[in-house]
Amino acid sequence: MAVALPAVVEELLNEMAAAMRECARSMAFLFPRLKFVFGSSAVQALDLVDRQSITLISSPSGRRVYQVIGSSGKTYTCLASCHYCSCPAFAFSVLRKSDSLLCKHLLAVYLSQVMRTCQQLSVSDKQLTDILMEKK
Amino acid sequence: MAEVLRRVLNRGSAAGIAENTAESGPPLLLLGAPGSGKTALLFAAALEAAGEGRGPVLFLTRRPLQSLPRGTARTLEPWRLQKIRFQYPPSTQELLQVLCSAHESTGPVPSLLLLDGLEEYLAEDPAGQDTTYLAALLLDTAAYFRQRAGPSRQCGLIVTLQTQEEADGGEALQRALLQRYFPAQCWLQADEASPGAQGFRVGLESGGPRPRAEWLVTFRPDGEMTITSRPNQTREPSLDKSSSSRGQL
Repeated sequence: MAVALPAVVEELLNEMAAAMRECARSMAFLFPRLKFVFGSSAVQALDLVDRQSITLISSPSGRRVYQVIGSSGKTYTCLASCHYCSCPAFAFSVLRKSDSLLCKHLLAVYLSQVMRTCQQLSVSDKQLTDILMEKK
Repeated sequence: MAEVLRRVLNRGSAAGIAENTAESGPPLLLLGAPGSGKTALLFAAALEAAGEGRGPVLFLTRRPLQSLPRGTARTLEPWRLQKIRFQYPPSTQELLQVLCSAHESTGPVPSLLLLDGLEEYLAEDPAGQDTTYLAALLLDTAAYFRQRAGPSRQCGLIVTLQTQEEADGGEALQRALLQRYFPAQCWLQADEASPGAQGFRVGLESGGPRPRAEWLVTFRPDGEMTITSRPNQTREPSLDKSSSSRGQL
């Protein structure tokens, strides 16, 4: 078993690292626009993503649900398919007052989908039913 | 699920262009006062979808239909009926259970999800968190069926909601809340212009680029339903009242 990686693999890994840095730079340009559209929710949402607070829960059936650990430590359930979050902010400002586009948890879910970074949890079909039933 | 309803109405009126879109369209709310023909129209949509050769139709309602609506003569064929699965969740909790466990069942995936009488499940909490979650779950269940059916398949969603003649504040709030999740609406309203037979005007707004379309549905004494299309009329005051109260919130 070789101790050092072959040169071609090293080179490839270096190129990938450079591309990731480039990507991070491009992403950084998009963050101000995110803030413009979403205001303070953007920073809070990015923070949630950074802290790995989003979990994608799926079962063998393929059905999925998201759970986000909010800043208070409370867990909220989000349905990305149709835009729903169990947090009070969603109920109040998005549905009643219609002045916010998203709550920070939903924004965090969408960001984590884009950035492909969230915890993943596999549960059984029955457990997924329980999760959906329990959170409203 | 505006499109299957549009197909039913266009086909019934024989005035529509043959629409062969496999697209199911956005989730649709079918509204009208008691006795305005919502169940009959919903059932007609079920029969139409059953005949389209895709998955079965899941028809949820609190109480079994006393008698099957006659529908239009051509669609009430036994084999279509066999493709409609009825379930009767007696309470909101049971309905939630049906929706939350939809992924547990094996067998063919429904291509159309129908709920008759949403108001009966919202009675306990008209405009609160529970209403929101129920609406969201309906959409999520349809989305899950769509995902299971594969890339080219669709799953539509139509829900009926009984409205009162005079909408009070609480009901208006609930309506606004539901319209966040149901971009398409279809309004059924008694038509004064047709004495004798029971006639209802149907107005369909898909929430998209297509303009509002109207039809006239008539129920003959034997229960058979006939549909004629109405050319786009200028908005009449009674219809305006219902759509302007929607716009306020």
